[in-house]
Amino acid sequence: MKPDPYKPVKAEILDVRDETPNIKTFVLKPEIPIPFKTGQFIQFTVFGEGEAPFTPSSSHFETEKFEVTIMKAGRVTEKIHGLKKGDAVGIRGPLGKGYPLNEFEGKEVLILGGGVGMAPLRSLLLTLLHEKEKYKRIVLLYGAKTPDDIVYKDEFSNWRKMGAEIFQSVDRCETGKWQGKTGVVTCLFDEVKLNPEQGVAIVCGPPIMMKFGTLKLIEIGYKPQNIFLSMEKNMSCGIGKCGHCALGKFFVCKDGPVFNYSEIKDIEGIWE
Amino acid sequence: MWFISDENFKTFADEISKEYTLYFPVLKETRYNWKKYQKDDEISLDGFRTDLPAKYFFYATQEELRQKEKTPFAVLGMRACDLEGLKLLKKIYLDEPQDPYFRDENLIITADCTDCGENCFCTVLGKKPYAEDGFDLNFSRTDGGFFVQTGTQKGNALIEKLKELFIKATEEHKYSVSRRREEILKKVSEKNNNQEIVLKELGEKIEKNREVFEEFSKTCVSCSACTNICPACFCFFLSEGAKGKIRYADSCQFKGYARVAGGANPRKELAPRFKHRFLCKFSFRPQMQEYTGCTGCGRCIDGCQGKIDFKEVILKVYET
Ligand SMILES: Cc1cc2nc3c(=O)[nH]c(=O)nc-3n(C[C@H](O)[C@H](O)[C@H](O)COP(=O)(O)OP(=O)(O)OC[C@H]3O[C@@H](n4cnc5c(N)ncnc54)[C@H](O)[C@@H]3O)c2cc1C
Ligand code: SF4
Ligand code: FES
Repeated sequence: MKPDPYKPVKAEILDVRDETPNIKTFVLKPEIPIPFKTGQFIQFTVFGEGEAPFTPSSSHFETEKFEVTIMKAGRVTEKIHGLKKGDAVGIRGPLGKGYPLNEFEGKEVLILGGGVGMAPLRSLLLTLLHEKEKYKRIVLLYGAKTPDDIVYKDEFSNWRKMGAEIFQSVDRCETGKWQGKTGVVTCLFDEVKLNPEQGVAIVCGPPIMMKFGTLKLIEIGYKPQNIFLSMEKNMSCGIGKCGHCALGKFFVCKDGPVFNYSEIKDIEGIWE
Repeated sequence: MWFISDENFKTFADEISKEYTLYFPVLKETRYNWKKYQKDDEISLDGFRTDLPAKYFFYATQEELRQKEKTPFAVLGMRACDLEGLKLLKKIYLDEPQDPYFRDENLIITADCTDCGENCFCTVLGKKPYAEDGFDLNFSRTDGGFFVQTGTQKGNALIEKLKELFIKATEEHKYSVSRRREEILKKVSEKNNNQEIVLKELGEKIEKNREVFEEFSKTCVSCSACTNICPACFCFFLSEGAKGKIRYADSCQFKGYARVAGGANPRKELAPRFKHRFLCKFSFRPQMQEYTGCTGCGRCIDGCQGKIDFKEVILKVYET
């Protein structure tokens, strides 16, 4: 029989970390390594219960194990949140096309993230920092709803030390324990001096943030072909067969999930 | 090119059925349906397409995805429209990574249509009621038997193996078949008022049109009859449950089809969902898979619970 792309590889949960009240990071060790490229995704099977797509959030230079950061959003993610260290799960992948790192080389790289959309961006950031001499500059703008909703809270200072310039905002803060900027993530553009004409920008977050973030990038001078978006669509097979993830003529699972904006900007309803 | 007499044709079917589970079309009142061949069944290859498309021989509407023994099957009397659909299905299922459950160990024997169904409109799309490539063997009715063409090595080998049943076709056979083909082409064309469209233009017009889809979708009840019965629709849902992975036929016409967690849904409204089917068939698939997702078989018109005439929709879009 030919290899079965529907059959998951068994993986063990090595650790579970709470990021926010509804987001957890799972450290997974698959029986057979899954050598992904940053930006590619995997299908996560809870045996007997369901399957859902996620992007690894760890560096692709780490190959023995990898991490996924998962927000509780419905039936399957609820089951995933119930899993413990030592449990066995299934992984299919790597799937789709990742970030075109070669197009980022020698350039100023701007990473724009919102909420749990930071998951693939963390993988990207760690991957870039691993070879940071290849890039002119690495800037991260990250926004979350409230200080409690920030993922990877303890890691930001480390990323700064490793060489990333980081700016953060929260939409609102009632407790007064936030010293930084308040407002939607696009307000951070006032904080940082960028060189849009020569730069690339990578965006991931909730649809509304992706939309306004992208429009803002265009407004300040980024070229559509230099803006890279991780698109989220309903997925089932993950390998370009079931039709679910259609985005215009593309199957997001196979032709994406990373697209440059010029490829998809004319498709009706891309932000829905 | 070969000829097989009506008498030898019976033996041919028997021989095939020794190696393959053989399916063929039978006439029930005015419509055709697939039947599993048993010895002494009468096979006529006259008529037009069956009610159900041939695609469900290649994958099931519901199937557990686990290793199992595959029994090779043969379809004798598949029509050109089903073969067209199969070309797209193969492109999807057998593109890398291949779907190991797609039943590709088979024998495809097409037959020219000799009649035309109430809603057949292949000629409107510039397609023909007989197959020209993509089959292992093609049978064309002629006087006293069939004119037989081979399309693959497998087809050639089969003729070689059963060579006592075939003779070399004559110029007369060839001529008679081309006459019959002209006739059936004319019949289908006339049934469709000799209308013919340029597929590429249709794709572009569908993209720009909104009104026609809003108008025609009004009676759509999102039942999925059209996509289930289509020889070229391939969508499915891969489910994980107590029995592992199960693949179910799915439909872009269901409201929840494209819904993502959190409730966002690019096609929650009826009209865009209805239009998506046309976009997929005439714009997206030709651009990405090189094949049109509609073959003009007209089954979706037969089956529509909302009495929507698919052909009327595309003609209306084409004319505006
Ligand atoms: C490429 C990509 C990367 C993503 N990366 C991340 C990430 O890194 N972190 C993150 O938090 N989120 C990520 N998401 C979003 C995440 O996939 C969804 O939040 C998740 O699918 C929600 O699943 P749910 O079952 O909890 O939600 P629900 O709303 O209950 O279900 C959503 C969908 O899950 C599918 N499903 C439900 N039950 C089954 C079943 N039994 N078998 C198979 N499928 C079933 C169905 O298609 C259903 O429409 C990503 C999405 C995509 C497309
Ligand atoms: S068969 Fe008709 S009513 Fe049913 S989903 Fe298709 S177009 Fe709508
Ligand atoms: S998820 Fe099945 S085609 Fe993309």
